[in-house]
Amino acid sequence: MLFNSLTFVVFFALVMGGFWTLRSWSARKNLLLVASYVFYGAWNPPFVLLLIVSSAMDFYLGLKMGAAERPTQRRMWLGVSLVVNLGMLGFFKYGNFLLENFQALAAMGGLQYQPARLDIVLPVGISFYTFQSLTYTLDVYRGHLKPTRSLRDFLFFVAFFPQLVAGPIVRAADFLPQCDAPAAPRRGRMQWGLFLMTLGLFQKIVLADALLASASESIFNYGGPLRMLDAWTGVLAFSAQIFFDFAGYSTCAIGAALCLGFSLVDNFRFPYAAIGFSDFWRRWHISLSTLLRDYLYFPLGGNRQGVYRSCVNVMIVMFIGGLWHGAAWTFAVWGLLHGVYLVIERVVSGPLNQAKWARSFLAQVGLVGCTYVAVCFTWVFFRASDFPTAARIIRAMVGAFPTGDAILPTREILQVLVVTAGLLIAHWRLRQGTLEEAVSRWPAGLLVGTWTFMLGAIILTQGNGNAFIYFQF
Amino acid sequence: MPSSTSSFERPIPDRPWGRLLTITLILVTCATIAWEVRARAVGYAPTLNDTPDLWAQQRGKVRPDSLVIVGDSRPLFDLDLDGLESGLGRRPIQLALPGSCAFPVLADLAADPTYRGTVICSIVPLMFFAPGGPLVENSEKALKRYHRWTLAQRSGHALGVLLEEHIAFLKQEDLTLNQLLQQLPIPNRPYAGVGPPLPPYFQTMDRERRTRMTEACAQPGPLQDRVKHGWLPLFTPPPPPSYVPKEAFLESMGKAVEKRFRDTVDAVKKIEGRGGRVVFVRFPVSGKLKEHEDRMTPRAGPWTRLLADTGAPGIYFEDFPELASYELPEWSHLSGPQSVEFTARLVPHLKQALAR
Repeated sequence: MLFNSLTFVVFFALVMGGFWTLRSWSARKNLLLVASYVFYGAWNPPFVLLLIVSSAMDFYLGLKMGAAERPTQRRMWLGVSLVVNLGMLGFFKYGNFLLENFQALAAMGGLQYQPARLDIVLPVGISFYTFQSLTYTLDVYRGHLKPTRSLRDFLFFVAFFPQLVAGPIVRAADFLPQCDAPAAPRRGRMQWGLFLMTLGLFQKIVLADALLASASESIFNYGGPLRMLDAWTGVLAFSAQIFFDFAGYSTCAIGAALCLGFSLVDNFRFPYAAIGFSDFWRRWHISLSTLLRDYLYFPLGGNRQGVYRSCVNVMIVMFIGGLWHGAAWTFAVWGLLHGVYLVIERVVSGPLNQAKWARSFLAQVGLVGCTYVAVCFTWVFFRASDFPTAARIIRAMVGAFPTGDAILPTREILQVLVVTAGLLIAHWRLRQGTLEEAVSRWPAGLLVGTWTFMLGAIILTQGNGNAFIYFQF
Repeated sequence: MPSSTSSFERPIPDRPWGRLLTITLILVTCATIAWEVRARAVGYAPTLNDTPDLWAQQRGKVRPDSLVIVGDSRPLFDLDLDGLESGLGRRPIQLALPGSCAFPVLADLAADPTYRGTVICSIVPLMFFAPGGPLVENSEKALKRYHRWTLAQRSGHALGVLLEEHIAFLKQEDLTLNQLLQQLPIPNRPYAGVGPPLPPYFQTMDRERRTRMTEACAQPGPLQDRVKHGWLPLFTPPPPPSYVPKEAFLESMGKAVEKRFRDTVDAVKKIEGRGGRVVFVRFPVSGKLKEHEDRMTPRAGPWTRLLADTGAPGIYFEDFPELASYELPEWSHLSGPQSVEFTARLVPHLKQALAR
């Protein structure tokens, strides 16, 4: 079920009505658990079973680890959790990718091997809920968390519908305590939740789908040489589209959870106003980047074993982070490029931080601009379906085809430039704070005007039920 | 060991939220009503959007012996389902898609091992033999929706239909933000390879996908002129891509057309092999559009060869004075009253063709 669908509007109204009508906290959680499975099953009902089995298994493995007296036993149960979760992810998401690469490797070695292509349907959001469930067993193994005794609460933690299929990836330590008792009543919680849902839907339906998707699709699906203006417009369109699409989903998820009295963590913090790449990753897909940091980068040694080793660790983490997004080498290159940026930043950031000029307004704007442009180049690999397409677009971006094809209408170019400018200005102005702080300062008229404008634009756009980009991950 | 971290709680801006929400809802309701009034004032009326969901719903009604209409927009406008039912004894299922190539739908029916019904297939050679691009993609998109139609999409469609039947401004082809932006008078830069605009709203559609031309388009006037003069650029194939040598492009097109002939023969044989029938129909076209189509794809070309290769019966409107006598309001489609009369006149020819 998509947030941007009529089905969800009715579903959410029914769930909210039921939730706030029920008196018992336990009954409310039961309702939300069933609703979450209905939400997920609306795509492909059999995959609900997979979700239940995988999360029930992690629940019992958590209990086993909690009861284990010897470290070897704990390690064994963790091993089972890792093998089953990553095995499931590997089969569904990377099965064909691994086969294709094995085939290519065998061919390089002179071995002609022709495996049958597996007809695998990818369960929606499997990367998200697998990681979410894994963080629980890892935390229990490391002794950071006591295993929960309630199977229902654990199933609910993994399946909670606002964040189930595209995050934010919620940690058990943040969510399970919220299952213990209903949140204390707070004035404005539901209305603020509805405001966030409106903002998220506006980002997705109006900005990402209606104003940006067409230019991005035209450019990335075009097979010929493009003019520089067209290539840049397409890449800027995708840069903004993916932000509005994904941040829109996260904002909706946070808003929907708030309406039900639950708090989810921020997933984005004005990332296109980042100065440098470590700053970018503190602002972009925060729930994934912190997860990779805590469960992969630190265990690899982090930056405790010298500069060289920390750079290697960064590259490993970003490579895996890239492949997490999709089973294609283009995603791996996207991750590795970010890794290279981060490594370069480590080298130059010391002198740069010392320099007085770097703190001036103009220098800060310049550094934000440089970071944004560098990030845009990485998006080419993220969006392109293959390397020749990516190479063609990058060559067009640097002006390799001055007489290339102009395929975008002027209106579409203006549309992308206006939305991108608005996005960058908004991120710049809000970069030091939070949305909540900004909204606290807005005059009431501006707030009502903005809310009315967003709702009106959503109704006017009508939507076309496009899936969120991150569902495929 | 901690049992967990302390319960995390998001901040909430301290504002009079109840009042703000109430005012917002009042303003949005007023704006929506105003937009609806405006849409009706300029000629829009509640009708269904022709979405892949609506198509998938009809495709789902196909039974092994169904009478099915496939093709482009002409059979959508020109055939009256009641007339066909009373003439042929079976309620037809309308699967024609505007701006599409009918072949993928025909091939999909042929690939269904249970299907042994009757297919009325409209042929506009420029569309049926399109090797790829938007014409083929439109059909493939609808088929994909049918084959992967989720519960969420089905329920969303059911709710959407309820709204569209009562609200005039819900027009995906015309009154969305994107469509309104496209109407801004912004000149395109030189050499921009931008496709021609699609026709504006000029038809109504019901749950069975029965389509009728609106009165405003059936009568001479600015809407009719706008629709009429939009056809020529839309029926002109785009120039070869700049990055493919012309000879190679023409060769690949030629090969694709030959393949389409072969695949169509296969599809027809499969359906006929199970006891089904396929009848090809060339629906009326007039004015400069007819001149254009005749010039681009003369009858002696694809139409004649299609019938010869497949051995299937065909009805070409020009062969029968009673089918060729219509003055089409916008050169490409019949008006509502014309379609009822045309269907009654077509039925005997269909019966004859199917009796062969």
